[in-house]
Amino acid sequence: MSIVLNLLSIALAGVVLNVLFSKSKIVQKYVSLLIFAGLTYFSFVMYSQVGEHFDFPFQIAGQSIGFTITWLNYYFGIMITGITLLTVIFSLKYMEGKDGSTHYYTVLSLKTFGMLGVIFSSDLITFFVFWEIMSWSTFGLMSTGGKDAPKSAFKYFVFAITASMILMAGVVLSYSLFGSFDFAVIHDKIGSLSLPMTGFLLSIFIVSFSVESAVFPVHSWLPDGYSNTFTTFTAYLSGISTRIGIYGIILFLFGIFGIQTVDKLSIIGKINFRYVFGVFAALTMVVPTFTALYQHDAKKLIAWHSVGQGGYMLIGLASGSALGIAGGMFHVLNHMAYVVLIVFAIAAVEHRTGTTNLNKLGGLIKKMPVSYLALLFGIIGLAGLPPMNGFVSKWFIYRALILGGYPFLAIAAVIGTLGTILSVYKLIHNMFLGQLPERYNNVKEVGFSMQLPMWILMIVVLGLGIFPGAAMGLIAKIQVALGLTAVPYSLHGIQTASGQLNMLVVSAVFIGGIFVTWIIYLLGSRRKHVSQYNNYAAGNFLDKKVAYNFNYEFYAAMEHVIDPYRKKIIQRTEQGIAGLTDAVSEYIRRIYTGMINTYGIYVITAFIVTIIILKELI
Amino acid sequence: MNVVLWIIFLPIILFVIGTFMLGYSRKFIARIERRYGPPIQQVFYDIFKLMNKKTNISHGWMHDIAILMLLGGTLLTMYFVPVPGFHFFAQYGDMLVIMYILLIPALGMALGVGETANPNGSIGISRALMMLAGYDIPFVLTFIGFAMINHTTSMYDLMLAQQAGGIAGWGLISQPLLGIAALIALQGMLGEKPFEVMVAPHEIATGPMTEMGGKYLGIMMIQHAIGIVVELTIYINLFLGGAVNWFEYIVKLFVLFTMLLSVNAVFGRFRTDDAVRFMWKIPLPLAIIGILFIIF
Repeated sequence: MSIVLNLLSIALAGVVLNVLFSKSKIVQKYVSLLIFAGLTYFSFVMYSQVGEHFDFPFQIAGQSIGFTITWLNYYFGIMITGITLLTVIFSLKYMEGKDGSTHYYTVLSLKTFGMLGVIFSSDLITFFVFWEIMSWSTFGLMSTGGKDAPKSAFKYFVFAITASMILMAGVVLSYSLFGSFDFAVIHDKIGSLSLPMTGFLLSIFIVSFSVESAVFPVHSWLPDGYSNTFTTFTAYLSGISTRIGIYGIILFLFGIFGIQTVDKLSIIGKINFRYVFGVFAALTMVVPTFTALYQHDAKKLIAWHSVGQGGYMLIGLASGSALGIAGGMFHVLNHMAYVVLIVFAIAAVEHRTGTTNLNKLGGLIKKMPVSYLALLFGIIGLAGLPPMNGFVSKWFIYRALILGGYPFLAIAAVIGTLGTILSVYKLIHNMFLGQLPERYNNVKEVGFSMQLPMWILMIVVLGLGIFPGAAMGLIAKIQVALGLTAVPYSLHGIQTASGQLNMLVVSAVFIGGIFVTWIIYLLGSRRKHVSQYNNYAAGNFLDKKVAYNFNYEFYAAMEHVIDPYRKKIIQRTEQGIAGLTDAVSEYIRRIYTGMINTYGIYVITAFIVTIIILKELI
Repeated sequence: MNVVLWIIFLPIILFVIGTFMLGYSRKFIARIERRYGPPIQQVFYDIFKLMNKKTNISHGWMHDIAILMLLGGTLLTMYFVPVPGFHFFAQYGDMLVIMYILLIPALGMALGVGETANPNGSIGISRALMMLAGYDIPFVLTFIGFAMINHTTSMYDLMLAQQAGGIAGWGLISQPLLGIAALIALQGMLGEKPFEVMVAPHEIATGPMTEMGGKYLGIMMIQHAIGIVVELTIYINLFLGGAVNWFEYIVKLFVLFTMLLSVNAVFGRFRTDDAVRFMWKIPLPLAIIGILFIIF
């Protein structure tokens, strides 16, 4: 029996057991823990079985369908199971006494089942079926955990259904063109297709996956959907769920169509398919990142960033060079590690204080130092500063864009990074720094079961920053398997003819610098810690009653600068799209007149048309 | 052996140059304002006094660590920026690395100032970060333009490429639009007027420095001295052909610094939003036009 089937049946067993034990929360908790530990174990040991193929004993339309293990889906498999395990460990304490926790583990298992099915499938039918399971369970995840959740989940539902229909059209079209559902067969036959048809087919698939990975014009479901649900689900969804869309794009762009075919799709000169795709990715980086500046809710702020960071992955893939593609794929892993870390820290604060409102928190560093450290590691990764992992993948992407001759895409990446630095500082400042409000004087650090996932992720974030080679080995294997050039990596960076990056040296020099400063610091006389009320207040007196803090409208001046652009460009575009949709829907609505006579005419017309078509065919 | 000596003495040399430059700046501004001004070695005295203070007030552990991140990050940047005779670390990290390690000290200070729980400090940091978004976009764009011409992102290679062409090969001469855009951005990067919104003593009580005193302020001043030299060196290496010997290097440092100081001396302070808007309306379009010249 194939190990993929093992994996899927364990995930399915998780769903069944959770439904069976829906009365007992304790059993549910530990069963889920066991299930996901098993899944993680099996997905890691899959290492030795790469290249294996499994077919179902039945066939569809004369085609055998099934699963296959490649380096690409191994990479995504370990990410999915690993992060789900950490989420479950974190949830043990977090979900205690919350409504909807019976539903919680069932949907989580179902979602994991769907995602594993999608990434291991070797043909369009399996892919589509599991894609649907995945979309439905995403809807299930989003619709719990808050009073606004069902509404925002419905928004996702509308987008997901549209995307699924487009994907379905792609599946049908490829079957009619190639007579097969199998990825390998399609890959072999793709060269014989005319270029306009190739472009059309590829666009269908890419548009469909763009919805799931929240590319700029179709991203609007994500921020509300992700931030209104349970905070642990926010972590899980932004960390891995959105990135299945990226998996689809990698698979179709490089695995099925192939970079040589994609590069033939030129429009004018340098403006080709990849470039257009890159422009959308650039918009995805810039616009949501600056929208994040305006947010007053920690979860929503991170949800917007999770849209923005997707842009980096896509722009890396769009650059088409070995370095850029490696950067894009590496960023998926890096983003998962730091974004989940950040959201766990937010969840810890929510667990203790009951709010994620950035205007109400402050000064928690004194009460929750571990959560603060977790958030600090996470935001340095998110902002892409050395020595954390986010820097390495962003460095690949910047370099690929600059040397590939895409200066404006590169500058979009830089603008996105600066916007990120601004909003993540607001996040950490308003939650952990500044004045501690009196009402949080008795707040305590979270327990071990919530700290453990944070410590693990902190090690991953820092470890991949100093030793990116640990993951680059796998990524180089994926690149070779997809027929691309592998990046010349070493354990602590990369080494190319035109220069190298050595994160170990960077980190060592940084530690050396800190050490020297520490000696200078020790030369002075001993420091004395004072209370937050012992502070400069221009001659006035501070005590517990005085709110002496700056966190509301943190970047008012910046908002003043970018507001006109936002109003002019973004809002007008959105209103335009909304107006167009309104007008089209209005015309479609007129079909439903409400009169029985009209419907009778429709039925008769449809009947006649069907008969004519059938006669033509037979 | 040579490398080890450089590693030990480079921070000391740059610190001495930096403190003299800061002393020189106080004297220069004073003479323009028809004051006598403090002696040129005043900054040494200040740092010595601050490091010897008996009382050192701290607001918590992040406040202590921040000061280590601040100077530690600046030392890190210093080693990666090539100076005449020393470019050992340039092979391990290119200009992209330098651009992002430049932000580590800023982040360290931001976190420490945040913990001091003083709104003046937080406002200062908020302004500093907004300014960062203002000047960094044009500055990075000019660097991207240079990297595209020379097909390398290594600062040392960019410097060598300019030196090969003599004075006509200098970035400022061969790509004047990029050079001027970066010069304006540099004024913002150094926090000189009219972009001095972060410190603004009359508005927010010196912003980030409000709750800093004793050895904390002393280390901040050491960092400022080294940081100012490092930032000027980045501009010299990218646009003024770098330097082959220390005499040339110091002359270039002082000429460039005097230029920026003269602007600083006669300007008032922009409001934060005006400063950011200025950066996005003058240097940014200049840099974009410069890049378009390179592409076509």
